[in-house]
Amino acid sequence: MESKITEVYHKEPDERHNTDCSKVSEMLDLVIDGEATSEEERFFNTHLEECVSCFETHQKQKLLKGIISGHLKRVIVPESLALSIKARIQETL
Amino acid sequence: MSEQTGKQLSKEEKDARFEAELLPVLDPLYNFAYRLTLDEDDANDLVQETYLKAYRFFDYFEQGTNAKAWLFRILKNSFINEFRKKSKQPAKVDYSEVEGYYNSEDVEGESGVASTTDMRTESVQDLIGDEVASALNALPVDFRTVIILCDLEGFTYEEMAKILDIPIGTVRSRLHRARNSLKEKLEKYAKTMGYNS
Repeated sequence: MESKITEVYHKEPDERHNTDCSKVSEMLDLVIDGEATSEEERFFNTHLEECVSCFETHQKQKLLKGIISGHLKRVIVPESLALSIKARIQETL
Repeated sequence: MSEQTGKQLSKEEKDARFEAELLPVLDPLYNFAYRLTLDEDDANDLVQETYLKAYRFFDYFEQGTNAKAWLFRILKNSFINEFRKKSKQPAKVDYSEVEGYYNSEDVEGESGVASTTDMRTESVQDLIGDEVASALNALPVDFRTVIILCDLEGFTYEEMAKILDIPIGTVRSRLHRARNSLKEKLEKYAKTMGYNS
């Protein structure tokens, strides 16, 4: 009887942990994109301190966003474009 | 339609307001058009078309409205209606060509671009940029669009929902799937950055 109770007792934190992991996984984009509420962010950050796996996933996702925003070159607007737009607008009544 | 306005702006005043409020968006708008069409001439046409449409409805534009989001929405719709069919097929990514040019044994985790310390030269930066562009261009246009709007232009989910005329939930799921897809495409590149999935 006692061992059963102990077993149940041991299971609970694991299950809670898994639930927290999936919650955090769902919040990942929200946090990365600055869309999470402060409550969500608190929950997220607290969990990251306890869970290496989620911590790493977060790092990777941040890295991906950084690679995209940091390395994609912007194209230069042709100088004539603004002039063409202005000219066409002038013609419009 | 556009003549039915209560505002009595002269043509000069209207043009001046239009230029002051909407032309500053030209750079991001052109970049968006280019990333959608993958062609400079098409991007040029698309942006001009967008500004002409915006001008036609400018009488209804209220000061303080999010001009950038409004123009992006017009452009996206024009693209769907007129340009999508003739936009070019994305190029295939050849990872093997760039693989050998950089290494990344020690990656700092602090920020997404911190590891650029390993990649000082301009040519290497160019290669990475090309790699990211190829991976992005290879995405289906709906996925490409959310990545551009979110990661390059910094629109909020709510703004993206308005630009694309889809619910925020769809924005989120599209973004999630787009990122997963990008992750796959950038896998080899990412590994060199210390990103092992």
